[in-house]
Amino acid sequence: MKIEPWTLKKSSKCYNCGDATIHEVNIDQYKMTIKCRECGFTRYYNFHILETPE
Amino acid sequence: MKFHLRVFVEIENLGKAMNALTDSGITGFYIIEYKGMSPEDWEGFSIKEDPKSAITMIKDYATDAVQICTVLNEEQIPIVEESVNKALKDDRYTIIEIPIRKIIVNYGGQEKKSKEVDVWFLEKKVPCFYCGEDTAQRIRIDMNKAKIWCTNCGATRHYIVKGSEKPGE
Ligand SMILES: [Zn+2]
Ligand SMILES: [Zn+2]
Repeated sequence: MKIEPWTLKKSSKCYNCGDATIHEVNIDQYKMTIKCRECGFTRYYNFHILETPE
Repeated sequence: MKFHLRVFVEIENLGKAMNALTDSGITGFYIIEYKGMSPEDWEGFSIKEDPKSAITMIKDYATDAVQICTVLNEEQIPIVEESVNKALKDDRYTIIEIPIRKIIVNYGGQEKKSKEVDVWFLEKKVPCFYCGEDTAQRIRIDMNKAKIWCTNCGATRHYIVKGSEKPGE
Protein backbone atom coordinates (compact mmCIF):
# COMPACT_ATOMS: atom_id res chain seq x y z
CA MET A 1 0.00 0.00 0.00
CA LYS A 2 2.05 2.92 -1.30
CA ILE A 3 1.04 6.42 -0.33
CA GLU A 4 2.29 9.27 -2.50
CA PRO A 5 3.89 12.26 -0.74
CA TRP A 6 1.98 15.54 -0.83
CA THR A 7 3.17 19.14 -0.60
CA LEU A 8 0.63 21.74 0.45
CA LYS A 9 0.66 25.36 1.55
CA LYS A 10 -1.21 27.05 4.33
CA SER A 11 -1.14 30.73 5.21
CA SER A 12 -1.48 31.25 8.92
CA LYS A 13 0.06 33.05 11.85
CA CYS A 14 3.39 31.43 12.78
CA TYR A 15 3.74 30.19 16.38
CA ASN A 16 7.38 31.21 16.40
CA CYS A 17 7.81 34.49 14.53
CA GLY A 18 4.18 35.56 14.97
CA ASP A 19 3.81 36.78 11.41
CA ALA A 20 1.11 35.75 9.01
CA THR A 21 3.22 33.60 6.74
CA ILE A 22 3.07 30.75 4.28
CA HIS A 23 3.72 27.36 5.83
CA GLU A 24 4.85 24.42 3.77
CA VAL A 25 3.09 21.22 4.72
CA ASN A 26 4.81 18.03 3.60
CA ILE A 27 3.08 14.74 4.16
CA ASP A 28 4.12 11.21 3.40
CA GLN A 29 3.28 7.79 4.67
CA TYR A 30 5.45 8.01 7.78
CA LYS A 31 5.68 11.69 8.70
CA MET A 32 4.38 15.21 8.31
CA THR A 33 6.41 18.42 8.56
CA ILE A 34 5.16 21.98 8.75
CA LYS A 35 7.64 24.73 8.09
CA CYS A 36 7.29 28.51 8.27
CA ARG A 37 8.74 30.06 5.14
CA GLU A 38 9.84 33.21 6.96
CA CYS A 39 11.61 31.98 10.07
CA GLY A 40 12.11 28.29 9.32
CA PHE A 41 10.33 27.09 12.46
CA THR A 42 9.32 23.47 11.84
CA ARG A 43 6.97 21.05 13.56
CA TYR A 44 7.34 17.31 13.01
CA TYR A 45 4.64 14.67 13.27
CA ASN A 46 5.01 10.91 13.03
CA PHE A 47 2.54 8.46 11.60
CA HIS A 48 0.66 6.82 14.45
CA ILE A 49 -2.21 4.56 13.37
CA LEU A 50 -4.45 3.80 10.44
CA GLU A 51 -8.17 3.63 11.06
CA THR A 52 -10.10 1.79 8.37
CA PRO A 53 -13.85 1.89 7.79
CA GLU A 54 -15.90 -0.99 9.26
CA MET B 1 -14.69 35.71 5.97
CA LYS B 2 -16.15 34.66 9.30
CA PHE B 3 -19.63 33.21 9.71
CA HIS B 4 -22.09 32.89 12.54
CA LEU B 5 -23.30 29.32 12.47
CA ARG B 6 -26.43 28.17 14.26
CA VAL B 7 -27.37 24.54 14.61
CA PHE B 8 -30.95 23.89 15.77
CA VAL B 9 -31.57 20.47 17.31
CA GLU B 10 -34.07 18.80 19.60
CA ILE B 11 -32.84 18.69 23.18
CA GLU B 12 -32.13 14.93 23.24
CA ASN B 13 -29.65 15.41 20.39
CA LEU B 14 -27.64 18.16 22.07
CA GLY B 15 -24.78 15.86 23.10
CA LYS B 16 -24.47 14.33 19.64
CA ALA B 17 -24.46 17.76 18.01
CA MET B 18 -21.86 19.14 20.43
CA ASN B 19 -19.56 16.17 19.80
CA ALA B 20 -19.99 16.60 16.05
CA LEU B 21 -19.00 20.26 16.31
CA THR B 22 -15.99 19.46 18.49
CA ASP B 23 -14.91 16.77 16.00
CA SER B 24 -14.95 19.32 13.22
CA GLY B 25 -12.58 21.63 15.10
CA ILE B 26 -14.99 24.02 16.82
CA THR B 27 -13.49 25.02 20.14
CA GLY B 28 -16.10 27.35 21.55
CA PHE B 29 -19.85 27.76 21.28
CA TYR B 30 -22.83 28.99 23.24
CA ILE B 31 -26.22 27.43 23.66
CA ILE B 32 -29.71 28.87 23.70
CA GLU B 33 -32.64 26.77 24.86
CA TYR B 34 -35.92 27.47 23.18
CA LYS B 35 -39.40 26.15 22.56
CA GLY B 36 -39.82 25.31 18.92
CA MET B 37 -42.83 24.67 16.72
CA SER B 38 -42.35 23.53 13.21
CA PRO B 39 -44.61 24.88 10.45
CA GLU B 40 -46.20 21.41 10.05
CA ASP B 41 -47.25 21.33 13.72
CA TRP B 42 -48.45 24.88 13.62
CA GLU B 43 -50.49 24.66 10.47
CA GLY B 44 -54.22 24.98 10.99
CA PHE B 45 -53.94 26.43 14.48
CA SER B 46 -55.09 29.83 15.51
CA ILE B 47 -54.99 30.87 19.12
CA LYS B 48 -56.81 33.29 21.32
CA GLU B 49 -54.65 36.34 21.52
CA ASP B 50 -54.46 36.70 25.28
CA PRO B 51 -50.99 35.97 26.70
CA LYS B 52 -52.23 33.09 28.88
CA SER B 53 -53.62 31.12 25.95
CA ALA B 54 -50.50 31.71 23.94
CA ILE B 55 -48.26 30.42 26.75
CA THR B 56 -50.46 27.36 27.37
CA MET B 57 -50.35 26.63 23.69
CA ILE B 58 -46.56 26.72 23.66
CA LYS B 59 -46.30 24.57 26.80
CA ASP B 60 -48.59 21.93 25.30
CA TYR B 61 -47.43 21.77 21.73
CA ALA B 62 -43.91 23.11 21.41
CA THR B 63 -40.82 20.90 21.51
CA ASP B 64 -37.82 21.56 23.73
CA ALA B 65 -34.98 22.43 21.48
CA VAL B 66 -31.57 24.06 21.55
CA GLN B 67 -29.63 26.31 19.29
CA ILE B 68 -25.86 25.85 19.30
CA CYS B 69 -24.10 28.94 18.04
CA THR B 70 -20.52 29.50 17.05
CA VAL B 71 -18.31 31.74 14.96
CA LEU B 72 -16.04 30.11 12.42
CA ASN B 73 -14.06 30.63 9.24
CA GLU B 74 -15.73 29.98 5.91
CA GLU B 75 -13.32 27.14 5.05
CA GLN B 76 -14.47 25.22 8.12
CA ILE B 77 -18.16 25.22 7.17
CA PRO B 78 -18.20 22.15 4.86
CA ILE B 79 -16.37 20.17 7.54
CA VAL B 80 -18.95 21.12 10.18
CA GLU B 81 -21.83 20.32 7.82
CA GLU B 82 -20.37 16.91 7.06
CA SER B 83 -19.72 16.13 10.70
CA VAL B 84 -23.21 17.19 11.85
CA ASN B 85 -24.82 15.26 9.03
CA LYS B 86 -22.89 12.14 9.95
CA ALA B 87 -23.91 12.38 13.62
CA LEU B 88 -27.54 13.37 13.07
CA LYS B 89 -28.50 11.91 9.72
CA ASP B 90 -31.59 10.21 11.18
CA ASP B 91 -32.60 13.19 13.30
CA ARG B 92 -34.10 16.57 12.65
CA TYR B 93 -31.77 19.52 12.58
CA THR B 94 -31.43 22.91 10.91
CA ILE B 95 -28.25 24.81 10.18
CA ILE B 96 -28.23 28.53 9.46
CA GLU B 97 -25.07 30.26 8.28
CA ILE B 98 -24.83 34.03 8.48
CA PRO B 99 -21.89 36.06 7.16
CA ILE B 100 -20.35 38.41 9.72
CA ARG B 101 -19.45 41.96 8.74
CA LYS B 102 -17.45 42.82 11.84
CA ILE B 103 -16.61 41.51 15.31
CA ILE B 104 -15.68 43.84 18.16
CA VAL B 105 -14.33 42.29 21.35
CA ASN B 106 -13.40 44.39 24.34
CA TYR B 107 -11.33 42.75 27.07
CA GLY B 108 -11.98 45.56 29.54
CA GLY B 109 -8.29 46.29 30.02
CA GLN B 110 -7.48 42.66 30.87
CA GLU B 111 -5.06 40.71 28.79
CA LYS B 112 -6.59 37.94 26.80
CA LYS B 113 -5.45 34.89 28.73
CA SER B 114 -6.00 31.81 26.68
CA LYS B 115 -4.07 31.55 23.47
CA GLU B 116 -6.39 31.04 20.55
CA VAL B 117 -6.55 27.39 19.66
CA ASP B 118 -5.54 27.10 16.08
CA VAL B 119 -6.71 24.17 14.02
CA TRP B 120 -5.88 23.98 10.36
CA PHE B 121 -7.91 22.28 7.67
CA LEU B 122 -6.51 21.43 4.26
CA GLU B 123 -7.82 19.37 1.42
CA LYS B 124 -6.35 17.48 -1.49
CA LYS B 125 -8.29 15.72 -4.22
CA VAL B 126 -6.46 12.51 -5.09
CA PRO B 127 -7.33 8.84 -5.41
CA CYS B 128 -7.75 7.40 -1.92
CA PHE B 129 -5.05 4.85 -1.06
CA TYR B 130 -7.73 2.70 0.58
CA CYS B 131 -10.91 2.82 -1.56
CA GLY B 132 -9.28 4.16 -4.72
CA GLU B 133 -11.93 6.83 -5.28
CA ASP B 134 -10.64 10.16 -6.67
CA THR B 135 -12.14 12.35 -3.98
CA ALA B 136 -11.30 14.98 -1.35
CA GLN B 137 -8.87 13.81 1.28
CA ARG B 138 -9.19 16.14 4.28
CA ILE B 139 -6.36 17.06 6.57
CA ARG B 140 -6.79 18.37 10.08
CA ILE B 141 -3.71 19.68 11.87
CA ASP B 142 -3.76 20.44 15.59
CA MET B 143 -0.77 21.52 17.69
CA ASN B 144 -0.08 18.00 18.94
CA LYS B 145 -1.76 15.73 16.41
CA ALA B 146 -2.99 15.54 12.85
CA LYS B 147 -5.19 13.31 10.73
CA ILE B 148 -6.02 12.72 7.10
CA TRP B 149 -9.27 11.12 6.10
CA CYS B 150 -11.05 10.14 2.93
CA THR B 151 -14.43 11.87 2.49
CA ASN B 152 -15.66 8.82 0.60
CA CYS B 153 -14.71 5.79 2.69
CA GLY B 154 -13.58 7.38 5.95
CA ALA B 155 -10.17 5.66 6.08
CA THR B 156 -8.10 7.82 8.43
CA ARG B 157 -4.37 8.15 8.98
CA HIS B 158 -3.42 9.56 12.39
CA TYR B 159 -0.16 11.39 13.12
CA ILE B 160 1.22 12.59 16.44
CA VAL B 161 3.67 15.39 17.04
CA LYS B 162 7.27 14.40 17.57
CA GLY B 163 8.83 17.79 18.16
CA SER B 164 9.71 21.12 16.74
CA GLU B 165 12.85 22.88 15.68
CA LYS B 166 13.70 26.54 15.76
CA PRO B 167 16.20 27.68 13.16
CA GLY B 168 19.71 28.13 14.49
CA GLU B 169 19.28 25.77 17.43
ZN1 LIG C 1 7.72 31.86 11.41
ZN1 LIG D 1 -11.33 6.24 0.54
